[in-house]
Amino acid sequence: MKVIICGAGQVGWQIARHLAGEKNDVTLVDMNADLVRRATDTLDVQGVVGFASHPDVLEKAGARDADMLIAATHSDEVNMVTCQVAHSVFNITRKIARIRAQNYLDALYGDLTNQDHLAIDVVISPEREVAEAALQRLAAPATFDTESFMGGRAQLLGIQLSDDCPVLNTALRQLNELFHTLRAIVVGIRREGRLFAPEAGDQLLAEDQIYVFTHIEDVNRALEIFGKKTKKQERIVIVGGGNVGLAVARALEKRTDRVRAKIIEKDRATAEHAADTLERTIVLHGDGMDIDLLMEAAIDRADAILAVTDDDKTNLLVAVRAKQAGCQMTIALVNDPTLAPLMAPLEIDAYINPRATTVSSILRHIRHGRVRAVYSIGDAEAEMIEAQVLSTSPLSGRLVRDIEFPEGVLVGAVMKGEKVLKPTGDLRIEAGDVIALFAMAKDVPEVERLLQVSIDFF
Amino acid sequence: MLARLAELPLLVVLLGITGGLTLIPALHGVATDQSDLARAFFYAALILLILTVMLGIATAAFSPRDAARSYLASLVLAYLLLPTAMVLPLREALPDTSLVNAWFEMTSSFTTTGASVYPADRLSDTIHLWRATVGWYGGFMVLLAAYAILAPLNLGGSEVASGRVPGRGAFGAAQATRGFEPADRLTRFAFQLFPVFTGLTLVLWIGLLLAGESATTALIHAMGTLSTSGISGQASLSNAGAGIPGEALIFLFLIFAITRRALPGLRPTAQHRLLPGDPELRLAALIVLSVGIILFLRHWFVAEATGVDDSAPRALAALWGILFTAASFLTTTGYVSAEWQTAADWSGIGTPGLILLALAIIGGGTATAAGGVKLLRVYALLRHGERELERIIHPNSIGRGGGNARRLREEGAQLAWVFFMLFAFTIAIVTAILTLLGVAFEPALVLAIAALTTTGQLAEYGASLPIAYGDLGSSVKLALGVAMIVGRLETLALLALILPARGRR
Repeated sequence: MKVIICGAGQVGWQIARHLAGEKNDVTLVDMNADLVRRATDTLDVQGVVGFASHPDVLEKAGARDADMLIAATHSDEVNMVTCQVAHSVFNITRKIARIRAQNYLDALYGDLTNQDHLAIDVVISPEREVAEAALQRLAAPATFDTESFMGGRAQLLGIQLSDDCPVLNTALRQLNELFHTLRAIVVGIRREGRLFAPEAGDQLLAEDQIYVFTHIEDVNRALEIFGKKTKKQERIVIVGGGNVGLAVARALEKRTDRVRAKIIEKDRATAEHAADTLERTIVLHGDGMDIDLLMEAAIDRADAILAVTDDDKTNLLVAVRAKQAGCQMTIALVNDPTLAPLMAPLEIDAYINPRATTVSSILRHIRHGRVRAVYSIGDAEAEMIEAQVLSTSPLSGRLVRDIEFPEGVLVGAVMKGEKVLKPTGDLRIEAGDVIALFAMAKDVPEVERLLQVSIDFF
Repeated sequence: MLARLAELPLLVVLLGITGGLTLIPALHGVATDQSDLARAFFYAALILLILTVMLGIATAAFSPRDAARSYLASLVLAYLLLPTAMVLPLREALPDTSLVNAWFEMTSSFTTTGASVYPADRLSDTIHLWRATVGWYGGFMVLLAAYAILAPLNLGGSEVASGRVPGRGAFGAAQATRGFEPADRLTRFAFQLFPVFTGLTLVLWIGLLLAGESATTALIHAMGTLSTSGISGQASLSNAGAGIPGEALIFLFLIFAITRRALPGLRPTAQHRLLPGDPELRLAALIVLSVGIILFLRHWFVAEATGVDDSAPRALAALWGILFTAASFLTTTGYVSAEWQTAADWSGIGTPGLILLALAIIGGGTATAAGGVKLLRVYALLRHGERELERIIHPNSIGRGGGNARRLREEGAQLAWVFFMLFAFTIAIVTAILTLLGVAFEPALVLAIAALTTTGQLAEYGASLPIAYGDLGSSVKLALGVAMIVGRLETLALLALILPARGRR
């Protein structure tokens, strides 16, 4: 597939890396010649230097025979115009634009059939995605990573196992027999920094990070089995009142249960904007690292702190400081994936990687077949893929045990109609079912092949 | 022709208008077969108009260096000099009065204070009409000045909303408005406001006529209501003959002294907001209703034992009396409901004059004909106080409501506070001067507040014993006249004119 990516910023770069890694023909367009050169040096992509929305630049990038265009420059307007040019001049069929400004989003987001107005097939909003991710983290406080699948009927939980976990040193096969009514399955284990898909005979050890794919109704039970308690979040402090913090606060205000949120924002104008937009949330102006300000926000009695400023280090330090002051749970926004290993020594309970969330949501629209959701796990080490099984797929009509999945692939759950089922060996996959697969990065092409439409479909 | 006229000094134009208005009582005199009075007013009109023409020719080449400030100066001079011109017809029509009395009467009318040295029955209807016309003219001028002279200079209440230094134009506006003469602005607003103001006066006149007042009285009351002068040809409103329906009509028209947004046909310069959401209207409603409810409920707490008749009609009459009088004094109009005494008896409070004094100090809306501290300033101070309470709990919190509300709470409240303190100082100074001139303390205080809030009727209802303006000495009358001008123009505008704002670095 030939893909043009406009903007070699964090998101553009990451998508280019993903797509190039999957043997796609990727062209990166950016104004910054240095960035483009670095991209062509590092990744298997072509580079074009120029202004993304100019037709001549797009033509040079091969827009005439491109299948898809992803506009991820830092400017909303450039992204929109680029998509429009791609549509009107080059007739590219799939156009994805990243849009940040709330005002555009209110008009565009979720409305995927607005071809008449703006030629954008999919609008991606990093801030909104990150806010959703933050809310999911808040909803499952004992996990370090969560993502919902199958229309909210299933959840992927990342759980850090501690010494007091009751099911340590037990083979997964035994666990399955022990809790046979639990609709949950361990799909990935990270041990000593290495992520792998477990076999039935593998055991869980203390200090393991495990990924559990579970039915939404069994989330609390699964957490209990793995030694985590669930507690309602009532007092939440958000550090950083930009788009992310604001979106989270707004979502919290909309909730029916009384959540008391406070926002700390350093920039006066941003703080004023937040205060004007929100109704109940108290907005404090000042440095989130200031202990006096944190105490004013009653950090010592807070159930959770969400550090979502644009600076990774501030987020980490604020989280540490809040934890020290007595905050129950800390969540930090971290852009740099190489900082992820710091979470455990810093005792930060969870982190959000905006790139991962944005890349996930863009990838979802790139995958072949009827892929409904893709979640990138860790530093793009693995993916959780949710897809609909087509009648032409090699999976269709076979029992789970008969399918030759690669070594690094596990079935998380199967949804038949509205019902989410735990995968067992004698479950038959039929056309129209939705299947959730955990796949190590190297096995993604094979999974794609399994999900892909067969040639004879045409 | 009109454009050429507008280029004349403002003072000359205003003098010409005074001359023109003098024809109204002249016509009334003719209509009521009082040829002496008609002749007196007609001659005065002729003299004033001839004087205007001569002054107009003499000053045709007048071109001020800073037109906006020259208008402010003209406004101040107008209040000082025009009453002198207005004395002319009054002296002709009322030969046995002293010059000071006549000047006091005209200053009081022109500043929409409405205080009178003469008992109501001593003057004929024609002279009452002249007083009301002068008051009406003064009310219109205040309105026009607020829009065309004070607002561009960031005075008269607009400084609270804008939060900028009063006495100066908008930042960077000098360049954008170059070539747009203040004279154009004045003419434009004059032509916009005049039909509205006159039309509303006519509507109220007709309404009061239908309610049963005589033609002249109805016109005087209509003029008195719209200009908030509260001038009435009668000893009290109850003598007018329209009863409660007439009072209700006047009550409705007091809204034009509470919020500038009520005035139809004018685009407000500030942000658009629906009338029920207007902060000044809400605050006024809150004040009037709370005064009404407290005085009304007081009956059951205190006055019950005194054996006042508490039948339902009497209770309603008392409530109406409180509400009408409170609204009337809040807008610094000064009409007193016929049921005011009923209300005072009902609540058992005796002489609730102090409440009226407080209401008059709060005053009406900005950019209306009302005087006092103005509701918008009080509103800004209230919002500021509310916000400070929030900040006790969260010292670093950010207030809500958007940029305008924030400016109102911070810079606006500061300027409102400055104005409030200036107002308080002025009351103190005027009181001190009056006591030095031999007035006892309580009457001095009441008279000072009455003059500064341009609510002359306070002298009769505000003190424990009514004060008659006629019994005051000449020097006291002169001092009160100057105080009325200060109160009408607002201290801040005077300071902006006097302080050398341009030379300050």
